[in-house]
Amino acid sequence: MPDVMQDRLKALAEAARTEISKAQTAQDLEALKGRFLGKKGELSAVLGSMGKLAPEERKAVGEIANKVKGEVEGLLSEAQSRLEDAALEQELKGQKLDITLPGRAAAFGRRHPVSQTLEDIVRVFSRLGFEVYAGPEIELDWYNFEALNVPADHPARDMQDTFYVDAPWLPKGVGPVVLRTHTSPVQIRTMLAHKPPLRGVMPGRVYRKDSDQTHTPMFHQVEGLLVDEKVTFAELKGTLAAFATAFFGASTKTRFRPSFFPFTEPSAEVDVSCVFCSGKGCRVCKQTGWLEVLGSGMVHPNVFKHAGYDASKVTGFAFGMGVERLAMLRYGIDDLRTMFENDARFLAQF
Amino acid sequence: MRISLKWLKDYVALPASVDELASRLTMAGLEIEGIERPAEALKGVVVAQIVASDKHPNADKLSVTKIDFGGGAQLQVVCGAKNYKVGDKVPLATVGTKLPNGTEIKQAALRGVDSSGMLCSSKELGITEDSAGLLILDANAKLGQPIAEALGLDDVVFTVNVTPNRADALSHLGIAREVATLFNVPLKKPEAKLTESSTEASTKVTIRIDDAERCWRYAARVIEGVTVKPSPQWMQDRLKAAGMRGINNLVDITNYVLLEYGQPLHAFDLDRIGGAQIVVRTAKGGEKLTTLDGKERPLHADDLLICDRDTPLVLAGVMGGASSEVTEKTTRVLLECATFQPTTVRRSSKRHALHTESSHRFERGTDVNVVPEVLDRTAALIAELGGGTVLKGRVDIFPAPKPNRQVSLRTQKVVDLLGVVVPAADCHRILASLGFKKLSGDDATATFEVPSVRVDVSIEEDLVEEIARVRGFDAIPEALPRGLSELEPERPALRVERLIRAAMAGQGVDEVVNYSFVSPAELAAFSAEKDAIAVGNPLSVEQSVMRTTLFPSLVQNVSRASRHQTQGVRFYEWARSYRPEQSGGQGAVPVAKETLEVAGVVWGLRHGQRTWTAKDSEADYFDARAIVEATLKALHIDGVTAETFESPWYHPRSATVLRKGDKVLGTLGELHPRVMKKLDAPAGIVLFQLDVEALQSVAQLIPQAKPLSKFPAVLRDLAVVVPAEMQSESVRAVILEVGQPLVEDAQVFDVYSGHQVGAGRKNVAYALRYRSPERTLTDVEVTEAHEKIVAEVTRRLGGALRT
Repeated sequence: MPDVMQDRLKALAEAARTEISKAQTAQDLEALKGRFLGKKGELSAVLGSMGKLAPEERKAVGEIANKVKGEVEGLLSEAQSRLEDAALEQELKGQKLDITLPGRAAAFGRRHPVSQTLEDIVRVFSRLGFEVYAGPEIELDWYNFEALNVPADHPARDMQDTFYVDAPWLPKGVGPVVLRTHTSPVQIRTMLAHKPPLRGVMPGRVYRKDSDQTHTPMFHQVEGLLVDEKVTFAELKGTLAAFATAFFGASTKTRFRPSFFPFTEPSAEVDVSCVFCSGKGCRVCKQTGWLEVLGSGMVHPNVFKHAGYDASKVTGFAFGMGVERLAMLRYGIDDLRTMFENDARFLAQF
Repeated sequence: MRISLKWLKDYVALPASVDELASRLTMAGLEIEGIERPAEALKGVVVAQIVASDKHPNADKLSVTKIDFGGGAQLQVVCGAKNYKVGDKVPLATVGTKLPNGTEIKQAALRGVDSSGMLCSSKELGITEDSAGLLILDANAKLGQPIAEALGLDDVVFTVNVTPNRADALSHLGIAREVATLFNVPLKKPEAKLTESSTEASTKVTIRIDDAERCWRYAARVIEGVTVKPSPQWMQDRLKAAGMRGINNLVDITNYVLLEYGQPLHAFDLDRIGGAQIVVRTAKGGEKLTTLDGKERPLHADDLLICDRDTPLVLAGVMGGASSEVTEKTTRVLLECATFQPTTVRRSSKRHALHTESSHRFERGTDVNVVPEVLDRTAALIAELGGGTVLKGRVDIFPAPKPNRQVSLRTQKVVDLLGVVVPAADCHRILASLGFKKLSGDDATATFEVPSVRVDVSIEEDLVEEIARVRGFDAIPEALPRGLSELEPERPALRVERLIRAAMAGQGVDEVVNYSFVSPAELAAFSAEKDAIAVGNPLSVEQSVMRTTLFPSLVQNVSRASRHQTQGVRFYEWARSYRPEQSGGQGAVPVAKETLEVAGVVWGLRHGQRTWTAKDSEADYFDARAIVEATLKALHIDGVTAETFESPWYHPRSATVLRKGDKVLGTLGELHPRVMKKLDAPAGIVLFQLDVEALQSVAQLIPQAKPLSKFPAVLRDLAVVVPAEMQSESVRAVILEVGQPLVEDAQVFDVYSGHQVGAGRKNVAYALRYRSPERTLTDVEVTEAHEKIVAEVTRRLGGALRT
């Protein structure tokens, strides 16, 4: 008798496996649930006939019946998930989004190419321990020229066409006043305010009376200054060569040419290997393979004297570069003037 | 400055390679900016003779010529010109030649007749603009000779960028001196083969210097019996190569020696000098001088003049006068060679806006000791080429001769400054090759006499530079600076800048960079012209006053965008505005108050163009407001109040001033319609402006974290009807005050005015968030708090609960 019941339970389980796996709809599943597990279902029928069994047999069969019940319930819930998944899949299949439409515009503001370039230049020198210093743009002639060893009536003044400013509010004898032609006056102000050692960069707007495709009456410079005991030209070369590779790329070569600036002695122009042709010669570098990007030199003793430093105790180097020039090289901009037209189409490119 | 290599060879042997020469000079500080090689452009063009010419069988305008170019067989060349006769010598461009204008000469058949080459005009060779016919050459020209040689164009010309310190290099001899040093070859100076008559020059002219401070030396020679005529071709060719024009032999010779030595000279017609007397003095009141360019110039009391007994003849060092210049009739010449104070010449040159070859050299400084040598050289050339007699002796007034400067060099200083060891022997050898004479000293320290031509050398560093540049900067190693001893904390200003710029980027505001100066009219449109600082010598009126506000530029930017069919912009600029500083110039106080601002503009479509997600959505006051709020949030500035104020440039309805306590942080508002009209600007412009220093003073650069409440929030809405003119912030203030401590936040989410709420009223709806940090709030206590808020809002603000 127990064997018969065990066989019936086995057959029930077998039938449930087959039938449930075939179910296609929720209704099918509902029907099968009723058939196998319902009050009038097959399992109930088997259990109903257990009263005739001896207690120990009843226990054994009961265990089997529970196992079967558990299995069938599992099969039913598995099948239900399967059918729900299939139904969801079917439903989603019919849905389409036009994924070629552009995204819902969120805000994104861009930096001006000059300001991006200026920041990048400053960042390189920050890595070398240079602090940032600022100073006035409307400046006394003394800070802009005299203190930098460019006396009045010196031909070196022709190197920088100067804007003069009417300053009637100043007491007599103070002046003349200029729009600074370089950020060098900030070097003087910084030295007057700080004792050596000093390493700083001076970024900012500068002004020269000039306007054509490669000159605008206003542009930006980053200048730098390092003063300490026994600072050498070799360190000037090393610092600027390091800047060139950091800014233009690891393969950039640097060339130092003797030149003249009243505020440095010796003075050097710094050329970098042409960023367009890697030094082979092209239209941009006028076939020379080199691009002039920096002026530099060892600080002239007269400048130290004006800045209150003892030239017998310290030496230093200074350098300066035009930010727009570097931005033009970097972004391939031909006409400097477009930088200040601020056309939305131009600004959107950077 | 243009330097002819053909000419340079007179003084120094040149290396075989032009490029090497250019490179060495450049790397020694005399930058070669350009190299002209006319001969190269004319390669393949030779001297040829037309030996026969017949009419072209198929074309009336063409001829068929037989050409001999000394190469054996004759060529047949078809030619279109008519200006020749058989036997003429002309330039022939042989097959394979590429002419300067780009034409390539090929073997060709012209209207059925073979042509092997092309006969050229002057224009086709790029020599002159003359295209009228063939260039007819000198009958003595050698057949087959390269045309560049035949025309004296077989020169190479350098353009040298001579820096203002190198007055010594402003001449062919100066460059030759440099070449001699760099290539270690001897320098050959020109010789003056002078034959003097027995008559003393001093019997023919008297010279007096009245102002020895401005005129350091004045020397002259007299040459009689001179014939004024054109100078020889070789001299004219050289002058042309150097960029000057031939005039007559006297003028050409003085120019030639100027370009040779760098020492300006002047030739007077002695018969036109009143009283045969030269007086060097400054101008007297009311004096005038008509210079060689034909202009009558009123003179300034500081102008130095060369005068005769009665009147000014020459603006010293700058330009000669018409009254005493040499003419075709001149036979007696007074030749001047002088040294003037550089600043005097520079001031006169600037004052009269006259920049000449002479003034260029005098203002940089000339060699006072070279005067006799130059004078003799020039007189000899005049005698040779003008056929005159040089009178005996120089009249040389030299009131205060000074010994040459002496400068000491410590060999250790070379190491300290350059960072490389240069042995004393090398240092001294280089200086010697540049003409510095070692007076005394040893390997550690030596004293040198500076050659008088090197007016730029006066301190030890100058000597170090000479050593460095002759060795080449390449010979100095590269080293990074030694380590830092300390690092300053980051400057707050830099952090503030970074945070503000990030806020701008996050709000979709693009950065612009405008000029710092605008036109007075633009500032006036903003009623911001008061206190504007004027540029004394502006390039144009549009760039003539310093901005007192950045707004005119930003409005310009919008106008430009509008003109170019850009439909919307969000711009900001990071720059200063400028005003006079009354205490400027005292100590280190800057002369102007320069206020760092971040100012911006919003205009047109919110996203710059129509988008499918937000069609035609126009930006307004609240877009600018959002940018400002984001900036304040970025800097963690709380408790900022917004109030309307009277402003000349904002629309009265939206002119807003932002304050923290009593500190003004900035302003914003719609552009005033009156300003818009004056500037012809497009409608819908909203502007904002923040004072960066003020923001920094109240910014919290490092915010402090607050713990988060673990308990849930309860959300309730509150809608009240208040008078239409009431600022919604006052409602919110009551909510937050009365709702303490349970109300965490209250945000406006709707504002409505219309017939449903009645005229003069508006409905404002707030989303309230209740929360306690200590417990979960019960419905009862939230309801109680909410009712209390409603009651207070109604009581205090005359509002009514919206139902």
